[in-house]
Amino acid sequence: MTTVATVTGLTKRYGPVTAVDDVSFRIEENRIYGLLGRNGAGKTTLMSLLTGQEFASDGRIEVFGASPVEHAGVLERISFIRESQRYPEDFQVRHVLRSAPWFFSRWDEDYAARLVEAFRLPVKRRIKKLSRGQLSAVGVVVGLASRAPLTFFDEPYLGLDAVARQLFYDELLSDVAERPRTVVLSTHLIDEVSKLLEHVLVIDQGRIIVDSDAEELRGSATTVAGARSAVDAFVAGREVLHRDGLGGLATATVGRLGEEERAAARAAGLELAPVSLQQLIVRLTNTSEKEFQLS
Amino acid sequence: MTALDDAGAPPALSPARTALHRVTSGVKLHFANPATVVLLPLFILGTILALNLLIWLLIVAATPVEVRSEQQFADGFSEGVQWSGAASFIFVWHLIVAIQAMNATFPYALGFGATRRDYYLGTALTWVAVAAGWAALFGVLAWIEEATVGWGLGGRMFSAVYFGLDGPWMRIVYVFLLFLLFLFLGTISGAMYVRFRSFGVTALWIGIAFLLVGVIAIIVLTQSFAQVAEFLLSIGFGGVYALTLIPTALAAVAGFFVLRRATTRN
Repeated sequence: MTTVATVTGLTKRYGPVTAVDDVSFRIEENRIYGLLGRNGAGKTTLMSLLTGQEFASDGRIEVFGASPVEHAGVLERISFIRESQRYPEDFQVRHVLRSAPWFFSRWDEDYAARLVEAFRLPVKRRIKKLSRGQLSAVGVVVGLASRAPLTFFDEPYLGLDAVARQLFYDELLSDVAERPRTVVLSTHLIDEVSKLLEHVLVIDQGRIIVDSDAEELRGSATTVAGARSAVDAFVAGREVLHRDGLGGLATATVGRLGEEERAAARAAGLELAPVSLQQLIVRLTNTSEKEFQLS
Repeated sequence: MTALDDAGAPPALSPARTALHRVTSGVKLHFANPATVVLLPLFILGTILALNLLIWLLIVAATPVEVRSEQQFADGFSEGVQWSGAASFIFVWHLIVAIQAMNATFPYALGFGATRRDYYLGTALTWVAVAAGWAALFGVLAWIEEATVGWGLGGRMFSAVYFGLDGPWMRIVYVFLLFLLFLFLGTISGAMYVRFRSFGVTALWIGIAFLLVGVIAIIVLTQSFAQVAEFLLSIGFGGVYALTLIPTALAAVAGFFVLRRATTRN
């Protein structure tokens, strides 16, 4: 596998705030990455650093073998439309579509036109008059049609309706299958994208706390449910990620279970259920699920 | 482990597009929607001209013929309007244009993968083109103004004395240099704004103000005002306008280094 990006000991400080804290990871070619974490966790800062829009306080970043900062050869292989991307005040959607190919050498105009139609974007409307969902759709169209070897999507579905979100997933999967490239998706709506992701990076308070294959991560935890006494007996001595209870019933989330352990649990009258990626990450980042979704 | 590791040295990434292509992308970006950079300034100029014509018309209408001829030069222009500063607003406006354009397009260009260097060079090239376009327009309008003896009203706006007495061609050069000066003062201000927000612009202009006061202080304290005036007279319009290239170049170079470390953070 070819490494597209290597990050080593990366730190970004804004005055007293450390937004990215001694982070190291790699991004491999032609995979879909999820960069997951709560708002303010450091997702956008990390992506800004990877795309040379921000300057690192410490550490090293290599993208396509070189620092992305002020490196035209690297930057033209990257597309990163941030969630809060600013467009020129007087720009309409069509101005964005007209100017994008000046910057993205692989821009596909026909594909962009098809996407604009699919997302029902009004091309003659000013950017600042667009709804939040339409603004996100502009970012999605640019991100997909730029066909950059390394594409970042920063909270791409903020404000998108269910139809548009589905459209985005379908387009992303089919276009990436046709023209393989590396995609990094940042989001806090984990369940919606979890099926897309091949690799998961979880960032919390500026630190990478999970860097794992998505498939592996999904099997890494199980919820056991049943009578409180049986649950307590089963989880004794194990690391418990989360515990819940109501009256005599209890549930507990534990780590990976082998076949024998699963059989033992069933024999004790416990029910086993897989843990969704979102639940797992919520547990790992130590926040309540509700708080996470609201964040 | 990976192909990059195997290769030892990272592959040399040469951009698919030439430097010229990348720089002209920046130029095209400024003109993508010409409202701010071209149309509004033209509209403002048209408005100023219209107001001036009205004022000149009022003067002509209100002045008895015999008084008017007393205040007229042999060429038919009125004496008072030789010193018209009406056009000055359009120069100052271009300082604002540069700030606005940079604030609008810098985060966009950076978001679309432009380097700060290419963006800055594209912006600088845009201002040279804008200054050249305005110089040409002023040249034509000044020619009309002189051919029609001040739009038939004896007024001067584009051929005002500030643009020199060295003939129509040199006047175009002077106007070009003047536009460059204001555009690049706007560029350094715009770079300061993009990087440090309003604090940066305020600090910049406080600095410029102190610099100017300092220069005046030196002239006053050394009692060399006469020498300065003599020097300026000796170099003439051509010399003074050539001197504006110094602050213009300083602003352009400083703007580059300020923008080089700017980010899109609000």
